[in-house]
Amino acid sequence: MLLFKELMWFFKLEKKSYSIGIIILVFVALINLFPPYAVRVIVDGVAMGNLTQEKMLKWSLLLLGTGFLVYGLRYAWRLTIFGASSRLGHLLRKKLFEHFTHMSPQFYQEHRTGDLMAHATNDIHAIEMTAGVGVLTLIDSLTTGSLVVFSMSFFISWKLTLITLLPMPIIAWSTSYYGTLLHKRFHKAQAAFSDLNDKVLENISGVRVVKAFGEEEAQGESFRLLSADVVKKNIAVAKVDALFEPTIQLIIGISFFLAISFGAKEVVNEKLTFGQLTQFTIYLGQFIWPMLAFGWLFNILERGRASSDRVNKILNIKQDIIEQTGVLDQVPSGEVTYLKATFTYPKTDVPVLKNIDVVLTQGQTLGIVGKTGSGKTTFFRLLLREFDLSEGDLRIGGLSIYNITLRALRTAIGYVPQDNFLFSTSIAENIAFGKPDALLEEIKAVAEIAAIHEDIMGFEGEYGTLVGERGVTLSGGQKQRISIARALLVEPEILILDDSLSAVDAKTEKAILQGLKETRAHKTTLISSHRLSAIEHADLIIVLHNGMIMERGSHAELIASEGWYASTYRSQQLESLIAEGGA
Amino acid sequence: MLVMGRLLRYLKTHSKALSVASLILILATVADVIGPILVKIFLDRHLVPRSFDSQALWLLGGGYLALHILSVGLHYYQLVSFNQIALKVIQELRVDVFQHVQGLRLEVFDKTSTGALVSRITNDTEAIKELFVGVLVTLVQNSVFLIGIFIAMFSLDVRLATFCLALLPVILCLMYVYRRVSTKVYRTLRQELSRLNAKLNESIQGMSIVQAMRQEIRFRDEFAEINHAYYRSAITNIRLESLFVRPAVDLIYTFALVLVLNFFGIQSMYGPIQIGVLYAFINYLDRFFEPVNTMMQRLSQFQQSLVAAERVFELMDDDRLTTEVEVAGSPSILEGQVEFKNVSFSYDSTSDSQSDILTNISFTAYPGQTVALVGHTGSGKSTVANLLMRFYPISRGKILIDGASLSEFSDEELRSKVGLVAQDPFLFVGNIRKNISLSRLAVSEKEVVEAAAFVQADEFILKLPEGFEESIGERGATLSSGQRQLICFARTMAGKPKILVLDEATASVDTETEEAIQTALEKMLKGRTTIAIAHRLSTIQDADLILVLHSGRIVERGTHLELLHKAGLYHKMFLMQQGTIV
Repeated sequence: MLLFKELMWFFKLEKKSYSIGIIILVFVALINLFPPYAVRVIVDGVAMGNLTQEKMLKWSLLLLGTGFLVYGLRYAWRLTIFGASSRLGHLLRKKLFEHFTHMSPQFYQEHRTGDLMAHATNDIHAIEMTAGVGVLTLIDSLTTGSLVVFSMSFFISWKLTLITLLPMPIIAWSTSYYGTLLHKRFHKAQAAFSDLNDKVLENISGVRVVKAFGEEEAQGESFRLLSADVVKKNIAVAKVDALFEPTIQLIIGISFFLAISFGAKEVVNEKLTFGQLTQFTIYLGQFIWPMLAFGWLFNILERGRASSDRVNKILNIKQDIIEQTGVLDQVPSGEVTYLKATFTYPKTDVPVLKNIDVVLTQGQTLGIVGKTGSGKTTFFRLLLREFDLSEGDLRIGGLSIYNITLRALRTAIGYVPQDNFLFSTSIAENIAFGKPDALLEEIKAVAEIAAIHEDIMGFEGEYGTLVGERGVTLSGGQKQRISIARALLVEPEILILDDSLSAVDAKTEKAILQGLKETRAHKTTLISSHRLSAIEHADLIIVLHNGMIMERGSHAELIASEGWYASTYRSQQLESLIAEGGA
Repeated sequence: MLVMGRLLRYLKTHSKALSVASLILILATVADVIGPILVKIFLDRHLVPRSFDSQALWLLGGGYLALHILSVGLHYYQLVSFNQIALKVIQELRVDVFQHVQGLRLEVFDKTSTGALVSRITNDTEAIKELFVGVLVTLVQNSVFLIGIFIAMFSLDVRLATFCLALLPVILCLMYVYRRVSTKVYRTLRQELSRLNAKLNESIQGMSIVQAMRQEIRFRDEFAEINHAYYRSAITNIRLESLFVRPAVDLIYTFALVLVLNFFGIQSMYGPIQIGVLYAFINYLDRFFEPVNTMMQRLSQFQQSLVAAERVFELMDDDRLTTEVEVAGSPSILEGQVEFKNVSFSYDSTSDSQSDILTNISFTAYPGQTVALVGHTGSGKSTVANLLMRFYPISRGKILIDGASLSEFSDEELRSKVGLVAQDPFLFVGNIRKNISLSRLAVSEKEVVEAAAFVQADEFILKLPEGFEESIGERGATLSSGQRQLICFARTMAGKPKILVLDEATASVDTETEEAIQTALEKMLKGRTTIAIAHRLSTIQDADLILVLHSGRIVERGTHLELLHKAGLYHKMFLMQQGTIV
């Protein structure tokens, strides 16, 4: 019930829908008291033989009339209440999505995509159920239940009512008991199912080994055992699940028996008419639903509660990259400075970057090399403010990046990440990602610089070709080049290529670098790479090792100093020779 | 409805259990519908004439309660039985799909994502379970119940029952219309949901790019639009269900009630009637509509399950099976001589030699010799191993083992005599002993220990708390990659292969196990024909023949020294790995 309180803000928001819905719901419960009464009148008429044609017609029409009225009203409350609950889902999903757009990479590292998606769909659906079916069940079972009991005891016989309703609480009690039992067994069944899933996953990922050792039969056997276990656990579930209906049948049957036997006595004593007895049994039938619904309601609320907790937990996570108040909304430009920059990832102890000092004047190119894990990507992520420095400062044109808006900062930067993620739209839309209103001419121009234009023209749909599952499958190199074009289109002050040329061949790499040189004459470029050929031309090259700058200088200087850079350079040259077949 | 037919065929083996369950269901239904008839007898013979013979009353009351309890018990029994049958059917279906998938050629696994295959075998079959348990079982039970009610009605009053029979077409018509409309609406709803999911998935995965390029607002708007479309179709669905399901069925109930009342009412104007029959009819009507409601609600589920079933059968119809080889007359591998004669291979068997991954590979490994294949990534060296393992059929040329064509060997002979050590040291969930012996009955417990000792894996295994019985976590997460590789070595050696295929077996070593792996390899190569795909040149310096591959062709061949003298590609690779750069 606490959840209802939690959702009060929404009920207030949808005050109109809920009040109309609930009024209709109560109204329907009231009207539903009438048909059993009409039946009683007719049955009494039949029993006493004093039924006239007019009377018959009148009551029939009244019955039909209420039938249609109830049909209309039921349609109306469903639409208002369920409609409102759908709007809650709609609202929550919107809120959650907006929250997602504010979250930093740290958040996405800590939460798996699948979980986040489950929050936005399954969990919100469960909350929706509470606001819809939950509200309905609560109101309807309360009003129908009390009205029916009221009518039975006041209009017919309170003694008979008491006697017949005696076994009813057993329904509520047993359904709730079965519910807990079912819950436990269901968990076991789910666990067995996930074991089965794991087995299949293991088998398919190890298919080579399975085939090489001729293990197919043994694997099949162990799968058979696991799936037999799934069956066993599910039968255990079915054994409880199958209890619900018969138990309800049993109790209702006993209630009916009590109603008829004690009712008959009253009829004999002439305290009840025959029609009243019939009316009574119909009411009894109407009482089943509220009993059932109550057991069900707790289930819905429990699930809604758990889901709501999960969603709220996500919504309560604070944005960790925050704009200070009163910062400038001015796109920075000029010299890029790393000032004693030190950074440690949250929840870790070892700094990834230590005391980094780099000054890059406008229009220069910086090359960053180093082994995997040396801190190259982090170097860029700090400039983008995906994370904030632990110590030191980062400045662009003398202005600390913490003193300008995120919007302004990111407008200045064009970023080509290592994992070049493309969206499942057309190639043109992917390139125009940062500038959706770009003309096709502009898109083509940057595609040419990124040396991807010809590849694109080779696809059947050219620039309209869809990317991803429904469209073409792009090679790693093609994806990289599209990512580069995407970053180039926004004409950034600062371009970051984070190992973005790793999957293109040497010739293409050269062409792209040449293109960049020509079109970005007075703009700053930051390139990291495993392959030194990609940064050979840079004005300044730094070699990162364990988060510190181990070597720095121009290509010629570094070669001359005979350090890590020089030996790696030679070994890579030989490597590329081998890749080309040693020619 | 082909899919339905195939699903139903699975029921055949359960025909006995099915008939027992059906019989119980019919009995339960009979006991169930007799109840109101007993009440009718009580009303007409005792209450109306006020004749209360206590013995007859006890009999009636006792009979009613006994029948009721019997019916409830039988109902419970039939519910469980039908569920049992459905679950067993699904198990059989699952095992069938699983076995079928196992028999598929490796190329299917290369081309289909693991997730898709797993979800066919587990999730889709789970959806079919819903079809059997939820839909079919409900349908059968409720239909039998409805028939029972009709029979009871007919036994009470033929004319009125005939009138009530007229309800049936109305209900069926309602169901038909609902199913037709709901299929469409439901499909739109599913589509909108999957659009919503796709957008969410993509946005979450690409969030860093969205933020880096400041497209948050655009994405919010785009999501809002999809979210709204989903909301719209959810509302349409609510409308539809409100129009057709419960409210509509209740309306039909009111009509039926008016019909029954009028029938008796008008009759009563011309003479006395049996009031008990009226009671029974009203009672039956009351119970008639619950099953109808249930069946209506299951209809939309039906469609979904059918789609899942379709996907499962589609996978089962995939005929890219590994070719079964007749066991009888399979040649034996005694010497272990391997010969490649002009072997070419392409994944796409229909295309020309342009797309060849391997072209004209020829070499001979004489018994006991080691042939090493080297080349950079993508040169085709692993494909040679895959072809020898018969994972893929060769496109052109011939592979001979001891003079007999590879295709003539039975699976058993080939798998037991040719041992593979794959690049990725794959371990199954289970203990170490089981991982070494696998399901091979020929491998005794002693041989497991011997094999482990042979590859020097026993040293670290015995240090584990449980030794050989130590269970390995999910895919060996608790062991280092080198340790896992040693276990894989032992697994291969336990089979006492004549021919050894090492596919970059030294790729996953760590400093701790490096020495053990080297020593183990040396021992393994002795006395066995070995085809080694090498990652490190140091491991193959003693090979009898080294083949250097480039773009699927052999570009250099010879021993280590010969190749170094040639000062070609091999020489360059050697220099690079030595780190002594000229």
